[in-house]
Amino acid sequence: MYKTVLLDHFHNPRNKGELDAMDSVKRGSNPRCGDEIEVGIRTDDEVLESVRFRGRGCSICLASASIMSECTQGLTIQRARHLVREMVKWFDGTDSEAPSDTTLAALGAVRQHPARKKCVLLPWMALDDSLDGK
Amino acid sequence: MTHEALNPIPAEKPDFDAIRKDFPIFTSGAEPLHYLDSAATSQKPHCVIDAIADCYRSQYGPVHRGLYPLAEAASEAYEKARRTLADFINAPSPEEIIFTRSATEAINLVACGWAGQRLVAGDEMWVSQMEHHSNYLPWQRVCRDRGASLRVIPLDSSGQLNLDGATGLFGKNTRLIAITHLSNVLGIINPVEKLIELAAQKSIPVLIDAAQSAGHIPVDVQALNCDFLVASAHKMCGPGGIGFLFAKMESRQQTEPLLLGGGMVDQVQSGTSLWTDIPARFEAGSPNLAGALGFAVAANYIQQIGRGRIMKREHELADTAFEVLSGIDGLSIYGPDSSQHRSGILSFNIDGIHSHDVAQIAGEQGVAIRAGHHCCQPLMQHLNTSSTARASFSFYNNEEDIAALASAIHETIKILGP
Repeated sequence: MYKTVLLDHFHNPRNKGELDAMDSVKRGSNPRCGDEIEVGIRTDDEVLESVRFRGRGCSICLASASIMSECTQGLTIQRARHLVREMVKWFDGTDSEAPSDTTLAALGAVRQHPARKKCVLLPWMALDDSLDGK
Repeated sequence: MTHEALNPIPAEKPDFDAIRKDFPIFTSGAEPLHYLDSAATSQKPHCVIDAIADCYRSQYGPVHRGLYPLAEAASEAYEKARRTLADFINAPSPEEIIFTRSATEAINLVACGWAGQRLVAGDEMWVSQMEHHSNYLPWQRVCRDRGASLRVIPLDSSGQLNLDGATGLFGKNTRLIAITHLSNVLGIINPVEKLIELAAQKSIPVLIDAAQSAGHIPVDVQALNCDFLVASAHKMCGPGGIGFLFAKMESRQQTEPLLLGGGMVDQVQSGTSLWTDIPARFEAGSPNLAGALGFAVAANYIQQIGRGRIMKREHELADTAFEVLSGIDGLSIYGPDSSQHRSGILSFNIDGIHSHDVAQIAGEQGVAIRAGHHCCQPLMQHLNTSSTARASFSFYNNEEDIAALASAIHETIKILGP
């Protein structure tokens, strides 16, 4: 499960840190394992100009947040919502299709470990809430 | 009967390599299994597996519900299992053992059936900050419902009970103290004898959660003089789905049954009904015959090895693991520095690495450890962490398991460390 891409995002997280300049910031937490992630977005005319996060969590949660920030930046809000739905569906069903964005493929290894599903999806849920907060 | 008489430590060195062979799981897979999660649930020896299979194969029938030979034999076997478990904890009589689905259900029975009938506003109930949620939530709810207060015995910096900091613990408002014998996170063995003695001086009943201790250290309810004690079969080499409540005669008679239904009633009329005798009063529904028989065989198996020997073995394993793990950079072990008050449970964290990652990578190396809050969120708050990794040892573990654990931790640090 701990493949190169995931480890790279864990060790060198993209878009992680301060969320001061964001338009909408929402928090997701999983009290069962103590993961806490805040996801912030800044938009310009219905386009996600910036997606950032901060928080603590396991390597899977942090890598997922980092990958998510990269592949949602530049998307329209509508497209980002669609991607969130694709991710949830992908992790809910064993035979559901992978999201169209192939950069998410690295997260697919986690699908074999249902106990870690929440770790992957936590930042995506916080992003969804941020989009709602807009 | 004393602890020593119940659990003698024989002079000869027990052959734990041979004992490990009693557990088929260790030879059933292609890869070695380093099972260090016995505090979650223990592995089962041949004799227990066989007892359950034999029950269904040739002994199975309704308990206390039939007049034909098979049913009568089933009833007798069930009551014999009760006697075995009474002997296992040195209970004065078998009627003091009430079979439940689990230790959790046993605590809920006392919370609803005993505390729920008597607590009034202004009363206090005490638990400790190291309790498992199963010895915390039932009391929290009954206190809320009855207007009583749930008070918490604090812990010191090493995680041990701070009785001096529990002002009013033995005060006039205290109606019950419910406390674990052995912490499922820190491995600390609590000084319950002392606590019960102090409580008894003020006629305060005490419930002991022996889920973690019953199969690992000597437990003698007469020596302890506790009012209630709960245990679970699956944590002591027995089957899942069965546990027991020990309750002193007076406490039992003050307790209302948790479940109502078949087998617990003598007379049912439209207006009122008359409960049957104890212990059947508390065992509504068809009894778990195979569970009880497997539980009794597990108790006999443990008794045969001897809990004195088991305690010594697990203490030695934990001591060795403590030493090995203490030498790993960035790894912190929770609980007392010395192994004096520990059993075979070690909780730890590695700087910058989540416990779930430690457990996942260890799992990929064939090492089964637990990670998370271990159903002890109040304790996690005290330890200022959201989760820990936990290795728990049983007498069937060996030094190779410790070496595999150390190797898995090094691998985790290699993959996820700075």
